[in-house]
Amino acid sequence: MTLARTAVLLSLVLLAGASPAPAQDAYPSRPITLVAPFPPGGVADLTARPVAAALEKALRNPVGVVNKTGAAGAVGMQYVATSKPDGYTLLLALSSISIIPEADKLFGRQPAFTVDQFAPLALISADPTILVVPADKPWKTAKEFIEDAKKRPGQISFSSSGVYGTLHMAMELLSHPAGIKLRHVPYGGAGPALTAILGGHVDALASGPAVVLPHIRSGKLRPLAGWGDKRVAALPDVPTFKELGYPDAEFYIWAGVFAPKGTPEPVLAKLRQALRQAVEDPDFKGAMDKLQTPIAFKQGEEFQRFFDTDARRLAEGVRRVGKIEIKK
Amino acid sequence: MLETLANLGLGFSVALSPPVLLYAFIGTVVGTLVGVLPGVGPLAGISLLLPATYGLDATRAIVMLAGIYYGAMYGGSTTSILMRIPGEAASVMTCIDGYAMARKGRAGAALAIAAVGSYVAGTASIVALMFLAPPLAGLALRFGPPEYFALLLLGLLVLAYMSGGSMLRALAMAALGLLFGMVGIDQMSGYFRFAYGVVELGDGIGIVPVAVGLFGLAEILATAGQPTPPAVIKPRLRELLPSRREWGESAAPIGRGTVLGFLIGVIPGSAHIISSFVSYAIERKLSKRPEEFGKGAVAGVAGPESANNSATSGAFVPMLALGVPSGPIPAVMLAAMMVHGVSPGPFLIKQQPELFWGFIASMYVGNLVLLILNLPLVGLFVNLLRVPYPILYPSILVFSVLGVYAVNGSVVDVWIMLLMGALGYVLRKLDFETAPIVLGVVLAPMIEMALRQSLAMSDGRYAIFVTRPIAATLLAVGAVLLLLSLKPLVMHTLDWRARLALAAKREEHS
Amino acid sequence: MLTTDRVGGVALALIGLFVLFESRKLPLGTLQNPGPAAMPVVLAVLLLGFGAALVALGAGAARLAAVGWSEWRHAVAIFGVCAFAALALERLGYRVTMVAALAFLVGGVERRGVVFTLVFALALALGTFFVFDTVLRVPLPRGPLRF
Repeated sequence: MTLARTAVLLSLVLLAGASPAPAQDAYPSRPITLVAPFPPGGVADLTARPVAAALEKALRNPVGVVNKTGAAGAVGMQYVATSKPDGYTLLLALSSISIIPEADKLFGRQPAFTVDQFAPLALISADPTILVVPADKPWKTAKEFIEDAKKRPGQISFSSSGVYGTLHMAMELLSHPAGIKLRHVPYGGAGPALTAILGGHVDALASGPAVVLPHIRSGKLRPLAGWGDKRVAALPDVPTFKELGYPDAEFYIWAGVFAPKGTPEPVLAKLRQALRQAVEDPDFKGAMDKLQTPIAFKQGEEFQRFFDTDARRLAEGVRRVGKIEIKK
Repeated sequence: MLETLANLGLGFSVALSPPVLLYAFIGTVVGTLVGVLPGVGPLAGISLLLPATYGLDATRAIVMLAGIYYGAMYGGSTTSILMRIPGEAASVMTCIDGYAMARKGRAGAALAIAAVGSYVAGTASIVALMFLAPPLAGLALRFGPPEYFALLLLGLLVLAYMSGGSMLRALAMAALGLLFGMVGIDQMSGYFRFAYGVVELGDGIGIVPVAVGLFGLAEILATAGQPTPPAVIKPRLRELLPSRREWGESAAPIGRGTVLGFLIGVIPGSAHIISSFVSYAIERKLSKRPEEFGKGAVAGVAGPESANNSATSGAFVPMLALGVPSGPIPAVMLAAMMVHGVSPGPFLIKQQPELFWGFIASMYVGNLVLLILNLPLVGLFVNLLRVPYPILYPSILVFSVLGVYAVNGSVVDVWIMLLMGALGYVLRKLDFETAPIVLGVVLAPMIEMALRQSLAMSDGRYAIFVTRPIAATLLAVGAVLLLLSLKPLVMHTLDWRARLALAAKREEHS
Repeated sequence: MLTTDRVGGVALALIGLFVLFESRKLPLGTLQNPGPAAMPVVLAVLLLGFGAALVALGAGAARLAAVGWSEWRHAVAIFGVCAFAALALERLGYRVTMVAALAFLVGGVERRGVVFTLVFALALALGTFFVFDTVLRVPLPRGPLRF
């Protein structure tokens, strides 16, 4: 068995070389990882790439994107929440970061992570969802839609990216103040949800503007109203639910950068400063322009307030939806 | 027609320009590589390499990504045939007869048939894509949850033709596989099922670790320790090419696989994986010698391999014609277009003719490149079998762990592969076939979701399955097929399975 | 008489029972609105049924005693190496793990020469890392000291 021993010895030698990292130098002294908790090609990934590139320029230090996917983003978010708070592991999160712990609570599960495990660094973009219906449906305005839904509770159906997913929550944040009950048909992601409404299998969808714009232009879908604070630039004729008298129907698909809680304040300050520089980068602006996602940069107090309000709205939404009613 | 040809001319002028040609070439080579790597299939390959295309212009990026897609479908068959490791999920059926052929010294023939079948299917389905995309895309969108449910139910009937052994055992294995498919977050209610606190299990048990474990790892566990390791096969050049008889037996399956794969591929969703399963079942049903399946029937390689390649082009139909993300892979490709400022949608063909037609033309070119690339490689790959098994299997293990890990960057997937390998090893010893488990894992989440979505759409009324014409037709076809397979029971005639058992008995007695 | 079918049948039936037991935590729903437990329960009942049928009809299958397990030591060793690889992959990094696993398999289990073992293990582990991580940008884990 001398050979096996050699092998063991060899691996021990290799292990011995693996001593802990050297003492802290000035931050940043080694590559930074920006975790996108969704697969390449999704909103999180598409936003993370230009952010990483611009951050790399601002910090003069490599920043790489790693996709840690699984369980609707929970795997990647948990990974960052529990990683060393040294500023070398950052998270690019979407709105779902506030939904997942609430849903976990609802089911009496040990939450994979909680929102206060993160230190918010910056909001990068916030896109309001808009309500679209197939063009061959009778509703011309949001008012007609809501009135009809009141008359026929549970008869009008909508697709979503999944139960407790962002597109589901958007619809919930409308139906509660409007006093309507819609029929929910969850799909496995925003793509299938869009395919479903284009095929006429459901009657409505709350969606980010960029993906539905071409179908609105081709006349297949009709926009009724938006969840934003202001109207969507590309659709100036589409009112917001706020204008229509539903001030609580506010929902954004947003993307923001977070660090694990406990990251030293000087490191956070440096990162905030670098992010502020990054969003001014022309390449970054160009990339976001191509994605048709408006930059909505917020930091510090402002971001914290936005984040807290959003988290509270979503938490209430999740609790209102409750466990999906199924008789035991 | 004339307009199409003129457009195609424009396309070729784009596709044959040196930079585009280069990216198509890189795409197909990389695709072949990730396809050969066990586990890493087209979706994982495209997702992993998508960031690398962010710096290119839209046409080059799309051409390269498409190259990776169909390149991976080509490459997937190689390890299936040589080592019984499915290079990607769609190659599971190729493992069965392809590997059996390799053990009989016909690895070269199997690889060549797979390559030619893939080429024919790839090229023919692009012709179909070119002429039929707009009308077919509209039809594809009419596939909602009820139609999908009916189609998948039809897919389950495939089971009857999957194994040569006892029907009862195949059913039991399928039920086990379907149960494996239940693990994870229930997408309709948000409940975690059978995950026991492992967050990574939230997305369920992936088909890749299951297939690599049940086929590849189990094979290694069972063969590596045998007192006499499997004989090293020394192929002669003459034997690399398929014989006249093998060509003859492959022609019809390639044709059928092409049509079938394209039609299933057009349907939105992930159903394209079942195209190779369905093709295998059809070939066995139509074969004059169904008993050869599982023991190296060339039709069992030709049909499924053509079907899975043709399905790739089918999947582009709704994506190109309507800008609809009709499945995971088209969704990633649409994202790639958005990164480059191309807004995918119903106007893509009109607004970006050089992108659309360049893409089509590059697929013709790419498929030809793959054929030219792969046929000479057959000789090289077959020589891998000369490597003594004690050296070969550790290498296969490394590639399996690497491939399975790379898909999601998840060690949990590696553990699933290991457990499935152990399970596959024991089941093999007990004479159970494992292909139905894979079919079960593939179908379970899709069937359940489609059923419950349909009921959510109809407010709990099952009538939705018979009032929608496509769903009703599919279910009727399924019922007829089921009755036909029950016929021997009623008519007291023996089907091939019973004849086979009888023959085996006679042999035992003599 | 113990046959392969009977042993397999019992095992499958037990799995079915286990799933039924575990499903009681999840809501079953109704026929009109099936809950998360509905499909697992149906499948578990089916599996239980198939398992029972295999036990009942399995007298004619191959005898369990006739199954050869001669290679089990080898199989366990290989499985152990893979388990080590899974445990070590993200802790020691891809290269270290694979070199160790390969060295053990080729040198220890298959008894090849020291030089061959080391060259083979190093070449394969570093080569695959180079092709997939460096060239193809498939991120593979690095251990401490980023190796």
